[in-house]
Amino acid sequence: MAFESLRMELFGNVTLLDLIVFAIAVFVALVIAKIVAIYLKKSLSDRIPPAEMDFLIKVIQAAIVIIGVYLALPSFNINLADMLVVGGTMGLVIAFASQRIVSNFGSGLFLIAERPMKPGDNVNIGTVSGTVEEIRVLSTIIKTHEGVYVRVPNEKIFTSEITNFVANVARRFEYTIGISYQSDAEHAIRIVKTLLEDHPFVLRHPSPSVFVDTLADSSVNLRVFIWAPSRVWWSVRTEMLWAIKKALENEGIEIPFPQQVVTFAPGTGLSLNPGCGGEGEGHG
Amino acid sequence: MRVPSLPVFGIYQIPFQTDAPGITVSVESGLATSTYRRTSPEGTLAKRLGYREGRVIINPVEPINLPTEVTGMLEFHFMPVTMRPNSRITICLKFPVEIGVFVGADDNYTLLDVFSLARPKYSLYGTPEKGVITRHVECEVYEDAPPTNPLEEGVLFLTLRNSGRDWIEVTRAVFESSALRLFYDKTVAMAGEMEVFSRMVAETKVIDRPPEEGMKQALRVYPTKKSLIPERPPFMMEYGVGD
Repeated sequence: MAFESLRMELFGNVTLLDLIVFAIAVFVALVIAKIVAIYLKKSLSDRIPPAEMDFLIKVIQAAIVIIGVYLALPSFNINLADMLVVGGTMGLVIAFASQRIVSNFGSGLFLIAERPMKPGDNVNIGTVSGTVEEIRVLSTIIKTHEGVYVRVPNEKIFTSEITNFVANVARRFEYTIGISYQSDAEHAIRIVKTLLEDHPFVLRHPSPSVFVDTLADSSVNLRVFIWAPSRVWWSVRTEMLWAIKKALENEGIEIPFPQQVVTFAPGTGLSLNPGCGGEGEGHG
Repeated sequence: MRVPSLPVFGIYQIPFQTDAPGITVSVESGLATSTYRRTSPEGTLAKRLGYREGRVIINPVEPINLPTEVTGMLEFHFMPVTMRPNSRITICLKFPVEIGVFVGADDNYTLLDVFSLARPKYSLYGTPEKGVITRHVECEVYEDAPPTNPLEEGVLFLTLRNSGRDWIEVTRAVFESSALRLFYDKTVAMAGEMEVFSRMVAETKVIDRPPEEGMKQALRVYPTKKSLIPERPPFMMEYGVGD
């Protein structure tokens, strides 16, 4: 009785048994794909970079699932040539019905092919800034610098301006350092250049640049341009600023607070110190 | 117990201790484990090994691992060498050496530690978009191998060949580190070739044989990474051979 119900045709000549066989085949394919992914991760994780590893696993998993579906299709007694025609028509219908999904899918394919970024890159996309975790077919996962999970649809990424901070092998950053007018700017420049020379990741070429940039209200401003390998630029940036500050102070170079010299015009009767008469100077 | 070649360099049986000016490397045996300790100018390091017997190999390694690995390229920047068309010359260049400590057997070993007496400096060869980060070596040009402290420096025997029809001034040579082959005995050395095609393009490769008789090949850090990316011995310099 139960076997007869399995033979019952649900739609066309497709029986419940056909559906179960198909479902089992797809399930087995998914399980095999999962096992293969685990095996690949275990055996190749120290030989292939993580970004390439994820991409390789996805391609292999997709191939296994497609093969599983292909092998399971005969259980429906479906002619593959007919299926292509039907599939094509269905595809068009689905495409019209779900334009956003198709748009995201297409954008995802272009992102994978064009590769403006890859997992692990530090990027800024629209208002989202962080590290690329994964590029999926429909969306891209970004982990923000605060550790927050953000899923961005690929269509949005494709039409947004993408800033990839590590796409180039080296990048430049800069500091503005104000020293007092009484300090010797040439001496300060020599101190900063020596520090930059000593740091391994401050690149020799393009060489760093240190110069007097502006004569500002409260300070003589030195500008420091540094090139560093993109992989370590942030640590160099954070490390060097404090090192420069300490080195300048050790050499007696003053880094002043904002200050202003106020002179009261004679005869106004104004003074910071009334005991000194009507004229005076104040720093505030 | 130790098979000596140079101070510090050699094959040791646990337990051991070896010293050189500024460097102490030791492994002390415990009941079931042993403890690796290293002191050098850049600091100290201690690691627990999961066994109490075995071999430790200390030898010079390709100088691209410190302070952290950011590149696989080694760039020599030297005094200009002017070359006639279709000429060939061999020069000697000093380069910094890093010291690698390995555990395991010859064909199955792993890197335990790497340290150096030399100060690293990095540079960019080419453009930020398409160039490569390089470990930068600023050096003199010698006709013969100069005296060196083998714990700090090695000598590259570089054969320059100008295959072009113009006179060319050469000041730079860039090598792919996966191809580097260091040899050591009383000194540390490697041999390389650079074929210059024009002022902008040259090809470099390292020769896989000892520059001097009796030198033995050092274990390399690169194979311990077990990368599936194939080694690419010739490197094409496409951003010039001069300043």
